[in-house]
Amino acid sequence: MRPFSRAALRPYICPSCRHGIGAGRRRLGTQLGSPDIYDVVCVGGGPAGLGLLAALRASPATSKLKVALVETQDLRKAQAWDLEPNQFSNRVSSLTPSSVSFLRSIGAWGHLDAGRVQDYQEMQVWDGETGSRISFDWSAETSPFEDLRTVATMTENANLVRALLKRIAVSGDENLSLFSNTTVASIENGSDLQPDGADLSAWPVLSVKPTGPAGTAQAPSRIAARLLVGADGINSPVRSFADISTHGWDYNRHGVVATLALADPDTTPFPAHLRTAYQRFLPTLGGPIALLPLPNNHATLVWSTTPEHAAYLKSLSPAAFLAMVNAAFRLSMTDLSYMMRMDGSPPTPLPTSSTEQQDTTTPHEAELAWRLQHTPVPSHIPPSATALQPGTVASFPLRFRHAAQYVSPRVALVGDAAHVIHPLAGQGLNLGLADVAALARTISYAVSHGMDVGDLLTLERYSSERYLPNAKIGGACDLLHKMYSVPGQGPVTWARSLGLDAIDRLPFVKSFLMKNAEA
Amino acid sequence: MASLRLRSLPLRARRSAPIVAATRSSLCRPRPSMTTSTSSTRTHSTSSVSADELSHFSALASSWWDPMGPSRILHLMNPLRHEFIASCLADGSPAPPSSDSNSTNPADLHYLDVGCGGGIFAESLARTIPLDSSASAPTATRAASMTAVDPSTTLIQIARDHARTDPAVDAHLRSGRFQYLNTTLEDVIAPQSSTSASTPGAPSPQSSSSSPSSPSPQFDIVTLFEVLEHIDPTTSSPLGFLTNCLRTLKPGGWLIGSTISRTFPSFVLNQVIAEAPWPIGVVPRGTHEWNKFVNPPEVHGWVQEGLMRAADTSTRRGGPSDLEGMQWKCVGAVYVPGLGWKMVPGAEEWGNYFWAVRKGDAPV
Repeated sequence: MRPFSRAALRPYICPSCRHGIGAGRRRLGTQLGSPDIYDVVCVGGGPAGLGLLAALRASPATSKLKVALVETQDLRKAQAWDLEPNQFSNRVSSLTPSSVSFLRSIGAWGHLDAGRVQDYQEMQVWDGETGSRISFDWSAETSPFEDLRTVATMTENANLVRALLKRIAVSGDENLSLFSNTTVASIENGSDLQPDGADLSAWPVLSVKPTGPAGTAQAPSRIAARLLVGADGINSPVRSFADISTHGWDYNRHGVVATLALADPDTTPFPAHLRTAYQRFLPTLGGPIALLPLPNNHATLVWSTTPEHAAYLKSLSPAAFLAMVNAAFRLSMTDLSYMMRMDGSPPTPLPTSSTEQQDTTTPHEAELAWRLQHTPVPSHIPPSATALQPGTVASFPLRFRHAAQYVSPRVALVGDAAHVIHPLAGQGLNLGLADVAALARTISYAVSHGMDVGDLLTLERYSSERYLPNAKIGGACDLLHKMYSVPGQGPVTWARSLGLDAIDRLPFVKSFLMKNAEA
Repeated sequence: MASLRLRSLPLRARRSAPIVAATRSSLCRPRPSMTTSTSSTRTHSTSSVSADELSHFSALASSWWDPMGPSRILHLMNPLRHEFIASCLADGSPAPPSSDSNSTNPADLHYLDVGCGGGIFAESLARTIPLDSSASAPTATRAASMTAVDPSTTLIQIARDHARTDPAVDAHLRSGRFQYLNTTLEDVIAPQSSTSASTPGAPSPQSSSSSPSSPSPQFDIVTLFEVLEHIDPTTSSPLGFLTNCLRTLKPGGWLIGSTISRTFPSFVLNQVIAEAPWPIGVVPRGTHEWNKFVNPPEVHGWVQEGLMRAADTSTRRGGPSDLEGMQWKCVGAVYVPGLGWKMVPGAEEWGNYFWAVRKGDAPV
């Protein structure tokens, strides 16, 4: 067992505050009263942190706990988030049915803008090198007379965050503090408040300060946490405070995202509401391209590729970008590699709006049209992308991280603070929500059995529930990434194609995999 | 005959209680020879604990609250104790909710934990006492106060120090709704047995007032976790000890405990497997002594006899009529590595089990 004193000797100090900490300490020393004491303090107001708060407020056992959330961004802006009906944020997540049922159970699902949420019932995944393919749907499990079950549900993160904020607001403000526009300056262990108070020497005490002059809530300067939850992302300050190491690597890949409008499909899907997600592995370009459905025939793009390709794609004009996306689902690896090296300078000056038809054809469009004439196109490709929503092309680095442990005395890590995985299976947020559901269950159990919610005996229940599943899924995504990064023909290519074809032809293996993915 | 037994009872209890409470504390450590401690406590006053045991507890001190230490298996069992108490309360409530309370789940039960050791159970129960005494209880255990006793000074100090690391529990310690007493069971019941015995007509007004330090402590729930199997049946009497526990109980109250049965599967589980070397074993070698384990029928018999003896007064002797309204409950508990403790009805014979007895509602 790692002694807590080690963490005590090395308090976390955020680098930007390090220069001022000497003065700060003296100031704290003079006013060293008792800090405000909370049962659960969550650092980070993303979907995981807000999900935890909403779950705690929803359960009768934990709704009376005194909880606080510290978030650097302005949560009022997140609550006021609004977009035109046919505009979509480029930060979209695919929620598995178990994530959806968790959000339903905590009463957050009803607060989502349902018009911005899209289920899909089918998933087509194929290998751009060999063409071997697997399709995921629940048709093996359901009779032809019932509707196909949902494989996953696409939701904008902003929509989810807004729904969670609304759910938390509905629960009232008793025992609840949302410290928005507030940053954690330092986390240190408390002190023994003898003779007037309790011994807080093993309690994490946060020093917080507003990020700007317009701090929303009047946060106390010092907050003591019975349980400090790190939902604060990949560079988690809470994890640094707890002295928990992570291992992992950078994939040297970027995920390029964009919001696209699609052409009407050539054939109307048989059940009219059937929607499909598409993913094609492009080994020579470094990763898969995926097109996931959004409402009103829109889709969100996630294209994992090398940083050079990502930079190239981001530099293209909207028309050329769309041509590359359509090419990536249709052309051979050789054709794609060639098009990735074409001169990307746009022939037309500043396209004003991407939805407008452009008179001149970009070289990429011409190249795609010409090459398509000589390429046999399979039937399971997505409709072509016709428009790019301005300002939605962005990229982020792909990384793998896994914390050595999720818990430490009075500290628990959830979501990206605990694990970051390759996005090729769209599982990142789902793992985070599963963490949150498990931690909320653990806290609820502890409260109803007189346990201290910050005690290691309590937290180990959470850790043992989540560590292996997260490691398993993270490892599986890593393995897939590595298998599908081997270009050309060869043993690995043959093996992966054989495996994919075999799985597609063995219904029981496939439904086993899908049930695993769902649960 | 009755007077003879009355005189002899406190003596027997005095002899047994310190040993009992102290040995429960040593549950998860290799134990020193009990014969020496028994002889020393028998001849000395009630609060005396042998030097052997004191030094032994000092060694235990640092690891008592270590979640990975030798007491880990006890920590893991603790949630089940709460569940078992809740199931007892569901079967029969000691104090019917007072009329002025409009809460469906009032925090109105006063607890006594005998042989609290380092406070694993006592502190967890104290955490469920609402800070606002008029608020409804957060859990089904409905605790209003907790008095925990142990004769070991070192262990009581460990318990108090640990309780101070939780502000909520610390607040209860300061308000007196939670207290650790470095004393024996006999000292707790002494003021009451000297004056007139039980106060008929429950619920008494004390049940709503939170002053457990009142001169006549009467408890709704008395707990006795992992204590009975550490009594040496050849030198002390579980019966006398249980009788004293029952004396502190209000009519309708529960005496709740857990112990280990003396059967063949239990021998294999507790003596062979549980005390096997790492990584199989889960408790240190020498933790338990086979001949001290007690079977459920034995406990049942003792508490029946104890209930009658506890009803003794200077003018009348308790009899079978005092067993009216008595309830008996027993359920096995099994530790499954990797899954933890599970309550298994009917598994009493396998080893660990919880038992509970409820005093009849209407005292004669």
